[in-house]
Amino acid sequence: MSFRTIALVARREFITRVRRRAFLLGTLLAPVILLALMGVGYLIATASEQQAHVLVIDRAGLLTHFDSTHAAWVPNCLECFPQTDAARYRFAAETISDSAFLASDFDALVEFDGAILQHSKAMLYYDQAPPLTLSARIAEHLSDAVERLKVKEEAALDYATYKRLKTEVRLVGQDIVTRDGDAAGRAVVGFFFSLSLFMLLIVYGMHVMRGVIEEKSNRIVEVIVRAVRPSELMAGKILGIGAVGFTQFLAYTLLGTLATTLGGPLLESSGLLTPGGPGAAAPVPVDAATFLAGSEELAFLLDVNWPLMIGAAAFFFVAGFALYASLFAAVGSLVDTESDAQYLMLPAFLPLMASYLLAVFAMQDPEGTVAYVASFVPFTAPVLMLVRIPVGVPLHEVVISGAGVVATAWLCILGAGRIYRTGIFMYGKRPTLREAFRWLRKG
Amino acid sequence: MPHALDVRDVEKSYAGHRALAGVSLAVSEGAIFGLLGPNGAGKTTLIRMLTGITAPDRGEIRFFGEPFARRHVAQVGYLPEERGLYRGMRVGEQALYLARLSGLERAEAERRLRHWFERLSVDGWWNRNVSDLSKGMAQKVQFIAAVIHEPRVLILDEPLSGFDPVNAARIREAVLELRRAHGTTVVLSTHDMGSVEELCDEVALVHKGEVVLKGAVRGLRAAAGAGRYRVGFTAPVIGFTNALGTTAELLAVAPDRDREGGHVAVVRIGEGVAVPVWLAARAEEIGLTSFTPYRPGMREMFLEAVGEQVDLLASSSTETD
Repeated sequence: MSFRTIALVARREFITRVRRRAFLLGTLLAPVILLALMGVGYLIATASEQQAHVLVIDRAGLLTHFDSTHAAWVPNCLECFPQTDAARYRFAAETISDSAFLASDFDALVEFDGAILQHSKAMLYYDQAPPLTLSARIAEHLSDAVERLKVKEEAALDYATYKRLKTEVRLVGQDIVTRDGDAAGRAVVGFFFSLSLFMLLIVYGMHVMRGVIEEKSNRIVEVIVRAVRPSELMAGKILGIGAVGFTQFLAYTLLGTLATTLGGPLLESSGLLTPGGPGAAAPVPVDAATFLAGSEELAFLLDVNWPLMIGAAAFFFVAGFALYASLFAAVGSLVDTESDAQYLMLPAFLPLMASYLLAVFAMQDPEGTVAYVASFVPFTAPVLMLVRIPVGVPLHEVVISGAGVVATAWLCILGAGRIYRTGIFMYGKRPTLREAFRWLRKG
Repeated sequence: MPHALDVRDVEKSYAGHRALAGVSLAVSEGAIFGLLGPNGAGKTTLIRMLTGITAPDRGEIRFFGEPFARRHVAQVGYLPEERGLYRGMRVGEQALYLARLSGLERAEAERRLRHWFERLSVDGWWNRNVSDLSKGMAQKVQFIAAVIHEPRVLILDEPLSGFDPVNAARIREAVLELRRAHGTTVVLSTHDMGSVEELCDEVALVHKGEVVLKGAVRGLRAAAGAGRYRVGFTAPVIGFTNALGTTAELLAVAPDRDREGGHVAVVRIGEGVAVPVWLAARAEEIGLTSFTPYRPGMREMFLEAVGEQVDLLASSSTETD
């Protein structure tokens, strides 16, 4: 195998793609598409959530009272805590021990005292991070109950008073075992990365397939094959196009880093971080970390192991791309036109789509069995492991999963190479999957 | 001296179809060799073997005396019939890419490309997009890519199709120049028999996976024309036919376009017949106006070899050498 040849092929693939306007547009537009896909994922997740058991500890007895008839604590405002398919509430005035919580069938524990009237904050404890939609619902119910309480205590209610009483309770999440902060938020970070990876794999996998079809249909492959072995051509193509995807990944990382690094100073200079507005007080030096730490909604970002996250994302992109790009190259070599590829593309496409759907569920339940198992299956591992990493995954699990992807990618490259070197010279009749399998066996 | 290419009893089958059934042919070093045959005859299969795309099921190919191997493929230049270039690249950039794939260093590749671009009047297109090229221009770039590394064997599949006469002449001259300057052996696969007669020293005609005719063009034409003569006469055709008697066979007859009322015929005179005596005995009776040895063109030889009806008096068949 000639590395000079592979480098020449890879260079051509890289340069001709990176200088296209579509690449620049894609680099800028992809984050927008990504957010849209995340929205779709959120909707799917909302539609599929299961009923959660929530224990509400009202230590000050603000929102609940003891009902002697039922010998249980009940909310003062029954309609504020509706028993729905999503959540079933129980109430108590005394907190319970961690072990008692873990032994119970409660999925989440919400705890607050009288201070909730001032700072609108309640703690949310869990063993496994609850779905985002559940957290939002609990916060909404709690806000209703607190708001009602405030309104009840007010003699006269004018608009200004109403605005003052309007309450939005914020839940401060914490893992009851590890005492880690907002795992659900961190799973969203993981989902963002996994979705980016999913998109890059699809987009650049298709690039590989189209490139192979182009070379095959215009017969240029017959000209260059006297100077380049088919395996070198395939390797160069995968490397070059993979480098384009990696460049885009680096661009996203750079944009993200710039946004967080420059974000603080920009916010500072805008005056939004100073209580009195622009120019009202002496500016306080602020960096991204300080800014995040001061923000209850974003503080969980500081709990993410960013070097591991970015390193793993880069690694799983490279290994995952090698795996899927080889499959797409094999499919491209079997057909003369892109429309012929629809049916043959399924073996490469299905595991990727499955990865996306599983990632949606994993975002909801990053420590569940589905996410755990799928993060070790080589075809879904690249996308799934990225959802789990920010929540906290032992390093050895990442290594085992990565090794599985690399080994499978290597096997896929070898197998795809066998199909590719026969397929690119076959014209006319589209080979069947059985024929492709025969080439795979015969080599 | 070993042949540039020596194909020995090569067989190849695809999914039950026998593409080549024991093909043997030899191409002399420095020759321009015509690889002829109807569509589906097996030419492309043979070319694909010579470009390393596929391998024989049986038989052997030798390249300048050595068993044909992967390393020899780099010494082959190939211009396929169905041609294409990467559309998203600039012309010079693409030519440079193909040249470098052929093993040339950048500076040397650029030097040679500038020479060829100028020679084939493609200079000025270096920085244009490939998608802007006309068909003929694109063909010239592909031709350059096929010859840029000065291959020992150059395989051209229908190299002149799509060219106007001026550019076709440029390509023809370039092929001859390659042979003169570098001793390049050229395998020319074409249906254009005019090019074959003009360029080729040797030919092989492949039909249904077998070689049905092969040899030096001059020798083949002489052999095919042996005993055949083109006769011009003014007598009625029936009288001419009667005059042939049993010693000659009428192969074709048609009105003579150059002589009103006259005819031309192709006849085969039997072996052992003294032609001058035979002719003298009938000259007056048939009103003889002309008598020349008949040399079939490649087209007639081609059609005869594949068992097709041949018009021996079609314009191209009256050529003599």
